[in-house]
Parts: sequence; C-alpha cells; structure tokens
Amino acid sequence: MKITIERAALQRALTAAGRVIESRNTLPILANVLLRSETGTLSIHATDLDIEAVAKVACEGEDGSACVDAKLLTGIVAKAGGSEITLELVNGSVIIKSGRSKFKLGTLPIEDFPQLSDATFDAEFDMDIAAAFAPVRFAISNEEARYYLKGVFFHAKDGKFAAVATDGHRLAESTGEIDAEFAGVIVPRKLCEMLPAGNVSIAVSSTRIRLTTAALVLTSKLIDGTYPDYIRVIPTSNDKIVTVDKAAMTAAADRVSTIATERGAAVKLSIAPGQIAFSKAADGNTADDEIAAEYTGEPVDIGFNSKYLHEMFAVLPSGPIDIHVNDGMSPALVTSPAVEGWRGVLMPVRVS
Amino acid sequence: MAVQQLPDTLINQIAAGEVVERPASVVKELVENAIDAGAKRVEIATAGGGKSLIRVSDDGSGMSPEDLALAVRRHCTSKLGGGLNDIRTLGFRGEALPSIGSVAKLKIVSREPGAESGYEVRVDGGAGGEPRPAPANPGTMVEVRDLFFATPARLKFMKGERAESGAITEVIRRMAIAFPHVRFVLSGPDRMTTEFSTAARPIDRISQVLGREFADNAIEIEAVREDVQLSGHVGVPTYNRANSLNQYAFVNGRPVQDKQIMSALRAAYSDRIPRGRFPVAVLMIELDPALVDVNVHPAKADVRFRDPGLVRGLIIGAIRQALEREGDRASTSGTTGMLSALRPQGAAPAYRPANVSYRPPANWSQEASPYRPQNTEVPFGFAEPVQPGFIDAEIPSARAEDIPPQTAAPQASHPLGAARAQVHENYIVSQTQDGLVIVDQHAAHERLVFEKLKGAMSGGRLPSQMLLLPEIVDLPEEDCDRLAEKAADFEQLGLGIERFGPGAIAVRETPALLGEVDVPSLVRDLADEIAEWGDAAGLRDRLESVASTMACHGSVRSGRLLKPEEMNALLRQMEATPGSGQCNHGRPTYITLSLADIERLFARR
Ligand SMILES: Nc1ncnc2c1ncn2[C@@H]1O[C@H](COP(=O)(O)OP(=O)(O)O)[C@@H](O)[C@H]1O
Ligand SMILES: [Mg+2]
Repeated sequence: MKITIERAALQRALTAAGRVIESRNTLPILANVLLRSETGTLSIHATDLDIEAVAKVACEGEDGSACVDAKLLTGIVAKAGGSEITLELVNGSVIIKSGRSKFKLGTLPIEDFPQLSDATFDAEFDMDIAAAFAPVRFAISNEEARYYLKGVFFHAKDGKFAAVATDGHRLAESTGEIDAEFAGVIVPRKLCEMLPAGNVSIAVSSTRIRLTTAALVLTSKLIDGTYPDYIRVIPTSNDKIVTVDKAAMTAAADRVSTIATERGAAVKLSIAPGQIAFSKAADGNTADDEIAAEYTGEPVDIGFNSKYLHEMFAVLPSGPIDIHVNDGMSPALVTSPAVEGWRGVLMPVRVS
Repeated sequence: MAVQQLPDTLINQIAAGEVVERPASVVKELVENAIDAGAKRVEIATAGGGKSLIRVSDDGSGMSPEDLALAVRRHCTSKLGGGLNDIRTLGFRGEALPSIGSVAKLKIVSREPGAESGYEVRVDGGAGGEPRPAPANPGTMVEVRDLFFATPARLKFMKGERAESGAITEVIRRMAIAFPHVRFVLSGPDRMTTEFSTAARPIDRISQVLGREFADNAIEIEAVREDVQLSGHVGVPTYNRANSLNQYAFVNGRPVQDKQIMSALRAAYSDRIPRGRFPVAVLMIELDPALVDVNVHPAKADVRFRDPGLVRGLIIGAIRQALEREGDRASTSGTTGMLSALRPQGAAPAYRPANVSYRPPANWSQEASPYRPQNTEVPFGFAEPVQPGFIDAEIPSARAEDIPPQTAAPQASHPLGAARAQVHENYIVSQTQDGLVIVDQHAAHERLVFEKLKGAMSGGRLPSQMLLLPEIVDLPEEDCDRLAEKAADFEQLGLGIERFGPGAIAVRETPALLGEVDVPSLVRDLADEIAEWGDAAGLRDRLESVASTMACHGSVRSGRLLKPEEMNALLRQMEATPGSGQCNHGRPTYITLSLADIERLFARR
C-alpha cells in the first residue's frame, strides 16, 4: 500500500470512524483502524464489536491494507503540517509522511481485525433519523437490568414510523412518514448518540441496522429483547388540558427545586383556572411559586420529578406546551403544537 | 406406680412426638411413602395449614388388604430387607403411619394396580385398623384429619395456619427438587395451587422451584471422590441472598438439613461472598448407603457420614473449582464481567501489550450474535460461547483535565477537597488543602441515601415515583405472601406493591428517592429480609434495615462513571451529612492521606 490523501479529508474520516472506538480496550486490535485502499478510495474501518464504522475518503496510489493504532494515526494527521499525507506500508510498518515530517507506526495483522458478517436487510429507506431520535433519546433507560429499554424502539407500519424511548418513569415517542415497513427493533444507545445528521440511507433487519451516507457507513447490532407494549401506557382520554409557556414552566420548576438536593426531587403542581402553583418541601424547608397558564377545567394537583419535567421540556421548542392530565395518580401526556408527531408521557410522583 | 408395659396407643403417641412434630412432618412422611411406592404423580391437599386436613394421593404400588392392616401397626415396614446398612428408601422405620394414626384421624384407601377392588382402613386416635373393601383408584390415598386432636398439649404448640402451610410448601419444594421425574401438585383452601410438572432434567425442576433466575445464575457442579459422588447447581457468588433458606442438600435423594454440608458450603464461598449474605445451592450427594447413617433421628433429616472429612473436602473442592472455572466472569460485575466475557475461555485477565496480536472471539464473524447482556451483577452466559455486547465498559474514569477550573481549587471550607479524578470507576480521588482523600463512591452514596430515607421516614409518607409499566417480579409463593402482608407498610416508604397471581408481585410505585432502580432485585432482597425476621417483627421496627436495603439499591453503583460535577456534589453532600464517614455496613466511606503521610512514604521526612 502506498497512497496519498488530502489531509483535512483524512482527518474528518478518521474522526467519524473513530467515534466507535472505546477509549480503553482489552483487545488491542479494537484500538486500531483497518485501512484499506482500493481503486482510488481509502476505507477506514473501526469497531467495538457491536458497531462497525467504515469511513470513505478519496486517495491516489497503490491498493493495499494495514491495521494501525487509531489514536496515534488521528493525532499525527491532526498535527501534520502539509496539506497532503502519504501512507506507505513497508516491512510491516506504516510510514506516514506529510510535509517534512515522517512517522513510522507498527501494525497488527489485518486478518485479526474483526469484521461484521454481511447481513441481509428486510427494509431499506431514506430518512433523517438523527432528527427523529433526538427528541426521544433523553428517556432511554440506564438500568442495566432492563437492557431492552437501553435503546430507542423503532418500527414502521402503514407509511408511519415511530421512535420510542422509556425508562419506566417517562416515555417519549416521535412519529413521521416513512416509505418502508419493518417490525420493531431496539437501537442501542451508543448508536443513537452518534447518528449522522441529515438524510441517510437506512437498512434494517431483525438483528442489524445500517446507516449509509456518502462518507460513512455505520452498521450496528440491535438489542435482542422484547420492547414493552408501550402504546398501552400512552393516555388517550386525559381531558384536562393546561397550556403553559415552556420557559416560564421550566424556570419555576427549577426555582422551587433549589431547596432539594436529592434525586427525584418532586414538585407539586396545583393546576387551577389561569395558573399553576408550584410547591416543594424538603428537609423542613419549603418553596412556592406560581406561573400563568391557560386552563379552564377543574383544579387538579399533580406531582412530578422536576428533573424529568426539565429533560422533557428541553427537547421541545420554546413557546406553548400542552399538558394533558387526568388526575394526580395517572400518567400525564405532553404535546407541543409546534412539533407534530411527538408526544411525551410523564408518570406522576405521589407526594403527600 | 409399678413398672408396666405401655399400651400400644401410648407407645405410638410417644413415638409421634418425634416423628410427627408438626403438619409438615406428616406431609413429609406421607410423600416419602408415596415415592417409596414408586409413584410418578403425587397430589397433596391441605386445609387449615394441615391441622384440619392433609391428603396425599399417589399412583404408586398400592397395598393389598393384608399389607394395609400391617402398615398401620407399629414396626411394620416393607423396606428394611437389606438391614440398616443398606437403606435405599426414604422410609425404613415403620413408624410413621401408626404414629400418625395415634394422634389424628387417619384413613388410608389403597388399591394395587392389578387388583379387582380397593380397601380402606381407618385409625382414630389409635383405635381401629381393620381393612374393608372400598372403591379406590390404583395407588394409595392417605387422609389425615384433625391432627393432634388426641394429644391436645401438642396442638397448643402449633404455629399459625400460615406458618404451618408455609412449612408444608417447603417440604414439597425439597421433595420436588429431589425427584424431578415425579409430578407434584399441592393445593387446598389454605393456599394457592402449586404444580411441579414432570421435569426432564434436574435443572428444569430446580428452575420450577427456585425460579428461572437461579438457573440463569447457576454453575453446574459434578465431582467424584473415592465412592462419593457430588452433583448439583450452585449460584455464582454475586447471586447471593440475605438468608440461608435457599440452600438445599440431598443425600441419596433424601432431603437433609445437615450442618456439616452447610458448613462446607459456607466454607467454599467464604472469601467470595460478603459476610451476612448466603449462597444459593442445590447439592446432591450419592454414596453407598453403607457409608452413611440416616438413622440418627426419627425425622431422618440428619445424616452421619462414615468419612465426614471426605464429603467436606469434596464439596469445598468441587464448588471452588467450579467458581474458579466460571467465577472469573461470574463474580465480577458489569464492566469487568463484560471484558472477561470477551476473552476466550481460560485466558488470563492480564494486561496485553499493544503490539501483541489478538484474535477476537470466533463467533464474531458468524451470523447475528445479537446483543443480550444480563443483569450487571450477573455473569455473562455461562455455557454459551462468549458473546460481545454493548456496555459502557471502556469509559475512562474521569480525568483531572475534565474538571472545570473554578471547582478545582481545594478550599478550606471543603474538608473533603476538590475531586481530581475517578479511578477504577469506583474511587474518587480528591485533593484537600493538606493531603488526599479517596472516597468509595458506592459506599458513600449508599450512606447518603440511607440518611435521606431515614430522615424522610420520620416525616410521613415518602414520595413515590409511579411506574408507566408495572414491574412483575416472580417470587416463590411464601415470599409473595410475606411481602403482600406488609404492602401497607411498604407504601408508607414509597414502594407500591400488590399480589399478582400466586407466584408474583406487581410493583407499581418505587420510592422517588431511589431514582431508576433494579426493581426485581430490590423486591427479592426485601423478601429475603422479611423471611429472616419471622412472623413477629413489624416493618416499622425494621425501618432502618429496610432503609438500608433500599439505600443499597438506590446508590450509585461502583463502576459508574461520574462527571466532575457529580463527584464534587457527592463530596459536598458527604460534608453536610453527619455519619457519612461510614457506610451502612460499617466500612469506611473514605480514607485520607495527609501530605505528611505521603512525604513519609517517600522518605522525605
Ligand atoms: N403410599 C403408599 N403406597 C404403598 N405402600 C405404602 C404407602 N404408604 C405406606 N405404605 C406401606 O406401609 C408401610 C409402613 O409405612 P410407614 O409407617 O411410613 O413406615 P416406613 O415407610 O418406614 O416403612 C411401608 O413400609 C409400606 O409398605
Ligand atoms: Mg414411611
């Protein structure tokens, strides 16, 4: 292998692929990237055994492949002086030249580089998956024991897709149009956090998902588990609808939470025509606040975890937000007139 | 009064004092007889905790009218053909039926499979015993009514209905584990029906009795030393319980409660399980009947081995070996468990220099090896090939440079200093004005949650987070009973539970203070804890221990990466909480190293 590549393009590709690599690895090969040049394209492979990233960049020169340490190579490319970089495989080492600098890196056998098997996919389509997943990611569970909640549940039927996340305390669903149909899959958190922005080509099977852009292909295993029947828990007949201003609501909830330090700090909302009163008691201290709200129904009291409230409101644009409640003991539905196809569910906290 | 030969009924009643101590011992004797008779199906029905009715039906060999007449007489047995040195049956003393007959109303209906018709015999408080023809199914049905009606003194010592019916369930569970090929059905107005259908392998039956979870977390053991054979399943060290109720031992198929075996089991786990926690185990010992004496006590639950040292060595050796073989993955939690799971079997978990080539697991390039991690505290797939998965395994501990400068300077007002780093995912290293502090994050956080819970409890009902999807936790029926009984108390603590069928509890609310918790393991630990207390203790008196169990679950697990702000927040909370220097188990939550100490270490002083 002996190739020349534009430095900035190589740096971008290395960064894109390198995001898959975990910062500490017991398998040394996983700290490496596999470089493979073939007819004018250099592909850079990186993997953590669950997700495989392949970034592509144009190059000139002889075909060949080598496995080198990802961090070192990325560092060298980032600091190199010249606008071009040459990579050459000589006697089991990769020689990197740029401007007047020269580096020699050891390699690992390319056969040792783990490769995801080819898979057949059941559905292929294009969509802006990053935008669809962004407003639900916050609700992904962290609880190891419920591994099947540690990702976004993604399914498509009758021209509509839904992306859902829940940790059992709150839930968020984002839906939209799609030109495909596939049974539900659970996309692991790590992939959800590195989705390429904008429209990407997606292929899904029951065990894999693949995202393809011009510069990057990400293939990931899916979480093997049964996602709970979440539709059941989304309330449909909550008829007390209160409309609040996002900024006013979050600020008030934050203000009264000041007096509590612990997690799960519950705030009590007393919803009455024209207003919501906030109250909080902790360690013998109390806090009260009030905001204006559009509401005409019966007064109702409901408690929420202020962190959950905050995180859910954070994914919505500023302006009005509708909270649909039934009573203080059943799930509340959150919608935003500005975001079609999104809904959130918050389970109340019972406060005395 | 002159010495005189006692009448038979009195002799039998005296024997009954030992053989049938309580309803559960009657059930044990009757089920033993059914099994000795070669039954494939044994049905047990009880009422009033076994005090008003015990009925055991089997499809075994049945009895001829002649046998039937003898069976209810003292010292009549069909089982001692080989003498006391060759006992291959569960019964051998020939005293169960007469003893029962002397203290209760006993009725036996039996028919040999080939026989034209069946016969019935009745004994009431020792009287009766003449067989007469009666309609019967093949096999035997033994009915015991009004136990101890003839010995009112004994009757007084019986515990409540619940306790007695629970003890009966326990007897059946033990028998069920010992005889996987026999189908057991336990029913009655005093309980929910439990059925153990015929199991193909011992582990299948064990799953039925102890729950799937045990099977998932168990290591099979198998060892022979001289002529003693040991088999069974033992839990991985991290799958431990708060009491020893889930330790089962069998000698030649006989359920035994033997101190020597239990002590060997404890020794095998001694340095792997924290004090006060108990392993879960099913141990089956098989040996020549001549090498073990089961005739130690009429209840036949004690045994004496000819060579106790051999048996002890065998148990300890086999378990240790199994734990070593599997335990590396098994006993480590989360991160490390995952890392070792990525290693091929047997590879040492040692550091590998970066230039050594290393092949990933062979199954990688094969078809779909889907993601399915298990509970962090639990090992990754025992018998299966190691499997790669997602986990935050490789996150570095936070580094000093991640810490924003404004929080970085140690201040006099902060005795625990400014967090500098998190190492080994569990220790926060913090710099104080005149030294270093190392904090055990899990222990420290547990203490904080504990103090919070305790504080909040005195102030009325705790806030509870309602769950979108109730969690259904499968548990043995007795555990469900115990938990359901205390449901109102738990509600005060923010834990909303209710019964969900015979063998499960539905959890609808969890204490908000705990955040996102592993509900099943919290509930199981609470159940274990209550089981330890017995009937008497009220939850209110035990608030502290419940709080401590809950705190443990609500605490930042070791192994979780903390952001610098989180580390500093933890330090500040510790400073504000009295008693935070010790965790709930009495271990220190942090240690300090003064600069002077450090300088001494480097011989600068
Ligand atoms: N369910 C049964 N099926 C067939 N035979 C039975 C059954 N129960 C008892 N027997 C007979 O009655 C005898 C006496 O039973 P028991 O008093 O329990 O003494 P043991 O079991 O020690 O022999 C047994 O030896 C057996 O022959
Ligand atoms: Mg017997």
